[in-house]
Amino acid sequence: MTRLTLFNKTSLILGFAFLYIPIIILIVFSFNESKLVTVWGGFSTKWYGELMSNQGIKDAAWVTLKVAFTSSTIATFLGTIAGLVMAKFGRFRGRTLFSGMIYAPMVMPEVIIGLSLLLMFVALSIDRGVMTVTLAHITFSMCYVAVVVQSRMSSYDDSINEAALDLGCTPFKTFILITLPIIMPAVISGWLLSFTLSLDDLVIASFTSGPGSTTLPMKIYSMVRLGVTPEINAVSTILVGLVALGVVAGSFIGKKQKIN
Amino acid sequence: MTEISTLEPWKDSAQRPYIEIKNVTKKFGDFSAIDNLSLNIYKNEFFSLLGPSGCGKTTLLRILAGFEKPTEGSILLDGEDISQVPPHLRPINMMFQSYALFPHMSVEKNIAFGLKQDKLPANEIKDRVDEMLELVQLTELAKRKPNQLSGGQSQRVALARSLAKRPKLLLLDEPLGALDKRLREQTQFELMNIQEKLGVTFVIVTHDQEEAMTVSSRIGLMDAGHLTQVATPTEIYEAPVNRDVADFIGDVNFLEGTFKGNDNIGTQLDSDDAKCIVYATQATDVDIGRKLWFAIRPEKLEISKKKPDFENNVLKGRIEDISYVGCMSTYHVKLDNGKVLKACRANRERSAEHHLTWEDEVYLHWLPHSAIVLQS
Repeated sequence: MTRLTLFNKTSLILGFAFLYIPIIILIVFSFNESKLVTVWGGFSTKWYGELMSNQGIKDAAWVTLKVAFTSSTIATFLGTIAGLVMAKFGRFRGRTLFSGMIYAPMVMPEVIIGLSLLLMFVALSIDRGVMTVTLAHITFSMCYVAVVVQSRMSSYDDSINEAALDLGCTPFKTFILITLPIIMPAVISGWLLSFTLSLDDLVIASFTSGPGSTTLPMKIYSMVRLGVTPEINAVSTILVGLVALGVVAGSFIGKKQKIN
Repeated sequence: MTEISTLEPWKDSAQRPYIEIKNVTKKFGDFSAIDNLSLNIYKNEFFSLLGPSGCGKTTLLRILAGFEKPTEGSILLDGEDISQVPPHLRPINMMFQSYALFPHMSVEKNIAFGLKQDKLPANEIKDRVDEMLELVQLTELAKRKPNQLSGGQSQRVALARSLAKRPKLLLLDEPLGALDKRLREQTQFELMNIQEKLGVTFVIVTHDQEEAMTVSSRIGLMDAGHLTQVATPTEIYEAPVNRDVADFIGDVNFLEGTFKGNDNIGTQLDSDDAKCIVYATQATDVDIGRKLWFAIRPEKLEISKKKPDFENNVLKGRIEDISYVGCMSTYHVKLDNGKVLKACRANRERSAEHHLTWEDEVYLHWLPHSAIVLQS
């Protein structure tokens, strides 16, 4: 291990400070007694209590969780299949096109995805609501699951499946008993990734949601337009906590997988 | 006569082969990995497919296991055509080169996996697993996961797993490739003992000629999708069919020349390499003047400083190089015309008594029956 020089240490600290001080300020001020966001008036958890009585925020949080859970589950299912196909089905006809289309949402500007989905929903005269937001989230988070699963599958030893077949296991049972348990950590981290992506998406949700399907990030954004309140700090802190939990769990599972 | 038919069933035309590979061709695109190959393997054989990488030996093994379908031809197991049977329905098991242990299952669950697929009763599965663990001496590691095993232990688990279903035929794909030399030699004998004990027919793929020589009842030497020779290890070593085979198995010297005819000794060869007429006992039935080769194994070339008391097959040269490996030394002897022959000698005395060294003038001699006459 190389020792850190003073320059390294300084730039490390400055870099992390730049990234995390704003979030730390947000968390600290969510426990502020004062109503003024920038003036410290003593420690208090009253804004969290206030939050609990705010029906609008509670509704938005519920919508967000519902959307995140449903969309990440379906995206994981579809993304896993896509990842498997790309890693293990060789060079089938149209593979390049297929993988290009799977990965496109990763690089496509969110505004474009949101707008195009909106146009489609309008064209098909589908009423916008929880379902349309969920569909939109599936389309953009599926590719992340596909990437995670594909990278796991590319280091997967095919002879493990062949061994199972050889021992009398049918191809479908082999997938259920052997392949899926082995790649499960990748599938779970894919799920967590798409869950957190869905949780904090603002742009696509704004385009595809309708009355009664305001998500938490949308709610926060609209509240901020009327001025930042400690209440927003509190709800943002909760959101940061949730996302951090998801990311930490995801990387923990990823690490465990590497050890195996 | 019965003695011969059990030990060497391939010599007895009344014996039915256990596995019949009939005119099998396997094409990948335009490339023929296996080209019109036919082979019979008999019950209880320990058959080796030996060849350089890319010769098609692994493809042939995968066809036997059912992972590849032959493009043409058929495969019969015990008289039954299995060419179209998918792998999970074949009474054949395979031990993989990478061992392919299931990483999320313990050793005993790995071994039990195949038995569970057959829906055997739980107590029978347990008995069979215990029996297998004992066979490969891993009883105390039954609860371990594959990532807690050493290479040698993983190899034994893979073997136990593939034998647990008591297959009619066990295929082994480079089973000892990942082990170090000492462990490999020890495991070769274990494999032979297990094969004898269980009476399962083994087909093993290897590129290690020593391994093939040690374990096999017969060796099928493969090159570019063809079988060049199928014979016992001794036959392959002492009577190779051509120069490629002779060269692939062990070390060999070739003397090139033209056929002068047969006399009371045997084949007479007018050799440019030796600059004289050399003899082999084996008579040859080809036109006079045709090009022939004598193959002489280094250990069959006598090396001495004193001119031996033989009229024929004596060549003079100078020691150019010595490779000393402890138990024996190989001398590279350069003949007057520049041809280098290798002769080896067991070091029966300790090195202080060694009396052959670089630049020594020496004589090489071989008995006529030690030379193999090759036509190609």
